[in-house]
Amino acid sequence: MKTWQRSLVAACALLALIGGVAYAQAPGAPPVEFPYTGNRTAVWIVAQLHILFAAFILGAPIFVVISEWMGYRKQEPRYDRLAKEVTKVTVILYSMTALTGGLFIFVLLATYPQFTTWLINHFFLVFAVIYPLLFISETILLYLYFYTWDSWKGEKKARHIALGVLLNLIGLVTLFVINGPTSFMNTPVKAEGISPQEFLATATLWDKIANYTWMPLNLHRIVGNVTFGGFVAGMIAAYMYMGAKKDEERAYYDWMGFVGNLIGVGAMLFLPFMGYLLAYELCDYDASICPYMMADQLSMFFEMQGAMIGLMFLASNYYIWLSMKRIEGVEKVRMTILAPIATLLLPLVMTKVMTDYPVPDPMSLAFLLPLILAPFTLGRFIPYTVSARTVIKIGFLMVVVGDAIWLTPHGFVPTGAKLVAELELPSDWNFLALMPAKNSAAFTLVFVTVVNYVIYNRAIRQGTIVWGKIDFASQFVLIFLAFSSIWTMGLMGAVRSLLRKYYHTYNLLPDFTAESFTPTLSYSAWWITGITVVFFVVVSFAIIVTLRPSDSKGHAAEGTPVPARAK
Amino acid sequence: MGSVIKKLAIGLAVGGALVGITRALEFPFIFQMMFFGYAMLGAAVFMLLDAPSVKTMSGMKSLIALVAFYIVLCTVYISGASMWPQYDPEDEKGKIAKILGPKFAATQQGKAEELIARAKALDEQVKALEVRLKALGGDQTTKEPQTGAAPTTTAVATGDFMKMGEEQWQLQECYNCHKLKGEGGKKRGPELDNIGTYMTVDEIKLKILDPKSFMAEGFEKEWEKGKMPDKYKDLMEDGDVVALASWLGTFKNTSVNTPKPIKKK
Repeated sequence: MKTWQRSLVAACALLALIGGVAYAQAPGAPPVEFPYTGNRTAVWIVAQLHILFAAFILGAPIFVVISEWMGYRKQEPRYDRLAKEVTKVTVILYSMTALTGGLFIFVLLATYPQFTTWLINHFFLVFAVIYPLLFISETILLYLYFYTWDSWKGEKKARHIALGVLLNLIGLVTLFVINGPTSFMNTPVKAEGISPQEFLATATLWDKIANYTWMPLNLHRIVGNVTFGGFVAGMIAAYMYMGAKKDEERAYYDWMGFVGNLIGVGAMLFLPFMGYLLAYELCDYDASICPYMMADQLSMFFEMQGAMIGLMFLASNYYIWLSMKRIEGVEKVRMTILAPIATLLLPLVMTKVMTDYPVPDPMSLAFLLPLILAPFTLGRFIPYTVSARTVIKIGFLMVVVGDAIWLTPHGFVPTGAKLVAELELPSDWNFLALMPAKNSAAFTLVFVTVVNYVIYNRAIRQGTIVWGKIDFASQFVLIFLAFSSIWTMGLMGAVRSLLRKYYHTYNLLPDFTAESFTPTLSYSAWWITGITVVFFVVVSFAIIVTLRPSDSKGHAAEGTPVPARAK
Repeated sequence: MGSVIKKLAIGLAVGGALVGITRALEFPFIFQMMFFGYAMLGAAVFMLLDAPSVKTMSGMKSLIALVAFYIVLCTVYISGASMWPQYDPEDEKGKIAKILGPKFAATQQGKAEELIARAKALDEQVKALEVRLKALGGDQTTKEPQTGAAPTTTAVATGDFMKMGEEQWQLQECYNCHKLKGEGGKKRGPELDNIGTYMTVDEIKLKILDPKSFMAEGFEKEWEKGKMPDKYKDLMEDGDVVALASWLGTFKNTSVNTPKPIKKK
């Protein structure tokens, strides 16, 4: 996209923002009524789109700068090319973040003027000074980072990498700052024995920002953004692989897809735990939020989440399987028998241990750590080994078992009030629906994936990767992972917002509109899918616009000959 | 093809075994089907692992495959989400109206809307009287309009008061943590069927308004962590708290092991 096109998009964003603010000045203006979608869904659509673009522009630079640094350190041009290509897409999506951000404020002011004014008043310094300054700084840094790419090389490369690090720091601070009001809406400041309104009147800006879920949300979003950025980088690679005409291009994009997936999966391994931490803090803030999430109105949203995460772990491990197939000499790779034994035992042992010693009892670690570490510590002393293929297949079996445990509900009802014996787990088996079992399922999925990557690492050390010769199905796996991670992000974003129940700000500011009820999962799925498709159309367009022209120029100096050797 | 059939047969056999075992263990039918579904998912995964490689596509062919893939994903996700039991928002709308009604009435907008509603009602009464006057003839003197409804009773009937208490139990979703009459509760809070034996109405009221005032025996950790939300004094009207406490005070079923409350404040 050319500079004038970017400027046009930025001007539109500014116009939407100013228009929104101007609208808010009109005294006593009644809220706008959005036809067909209703006001809440209109806000939902724009907010979700904004968050998706923002997540990418904050997540991608984290691994972009790491990739640039690795390229510099290893003197491998393909890392630098990956970093630059992802940055090109990031620059376009940055404009979209600004545009949807402006639109978000406009829609919010038009539909919920009283609430928006109330929130801005409480975070005036954030919305009027800190956030705009950070956003402007980030804009300058991102464009500087992008436009100095070619001029700051050689001796100046370290300066360019430092600029990238600074960009990331500003990005992180921006995320932390805007998470203040966002988390405040879920868990506003409170103190024992004082009404929330009274306490709010005396609370400082820092009190409001550093609320119960601020830091868990920060951590969750950082990890989520990197996951998301990694999978989108994988998708970019898949698109380019599909459109590649030369073998060396296929070799490069095969490698890029692998790296994108590695980043996505690597970060995804931490996501269940970050999500758990956020949910834990929400429940700790107000115990009635917990049943609303897990046993009542939103329980089926969590079933869908379980299904999505299960599918994503299956897909990411399937990608490793397909990647292994193109490694010459993989059949010689073997692993200690303790690995499949630990994998098979993990769900059972972990459920038992965590039931007897609930988190955060250190005794649970005393039992679980030896089991998890056994294949890596004791493994070399045990003479019995199994083939990599067998270990991975047992891993797949346990991923299915893990999915099954995660998905098994206490009852097939949308709310605890409708629970009857014909739809409820027998009481002796109720442990399958409790947190220890769910934790063990999540941990099994993570453990299997880690073991598979260890095997993969061993395979590339003992064999040779033939880049560009991967099964074509793998490109659909990369696209599936990107689509599913975005869909899941939309689903969980909806859950986090809905946790406020019939409040704009939980227990503080009621939502008196007729739309303050919990929507059905089906209705939500339609909108989440629609938002995901719109996001994909824009991202696909951005990829075609930015990366296709570079295809004709060629990158002969960067690629290694095909078949590329990994060693 | 032989491999696919073999895996399908194994999947069916494992699924059948799971159905048999879960039936013997008295799992409801829907759970039996769910376990069968897991077995079939496993079979599908293993079929996929040994499936032949997909040939490299390019140009229009890959574009069509990509669009088709997206259509399949969208269809699967929407239909998948729609297959889970769906919560009926109508169940919640009435609750929300009852909870937020008094709060809305207290706002400026609420007061204004109430005045408009009253004015409209009065206007309709005047119009109705005009019609009646016309029907009776213009020379007749106008009667004093009835200013109010039927004479109000000073006290609410006890039955209605208890109903109010039960309604608050539902509205505030106390059943999510406390078991009562054999329903609700997930051991988060104590079972309350015998609470009337241990606590007076005033004490129950105090516990609702200040959860730290009493601790149920055996729930020390929950009390320490403040598991019972300290929000009802802000969310509930005083009359609603009294009604809920009075209703709970009637539960004196000594056959249920309600933990003994210990006064802490």
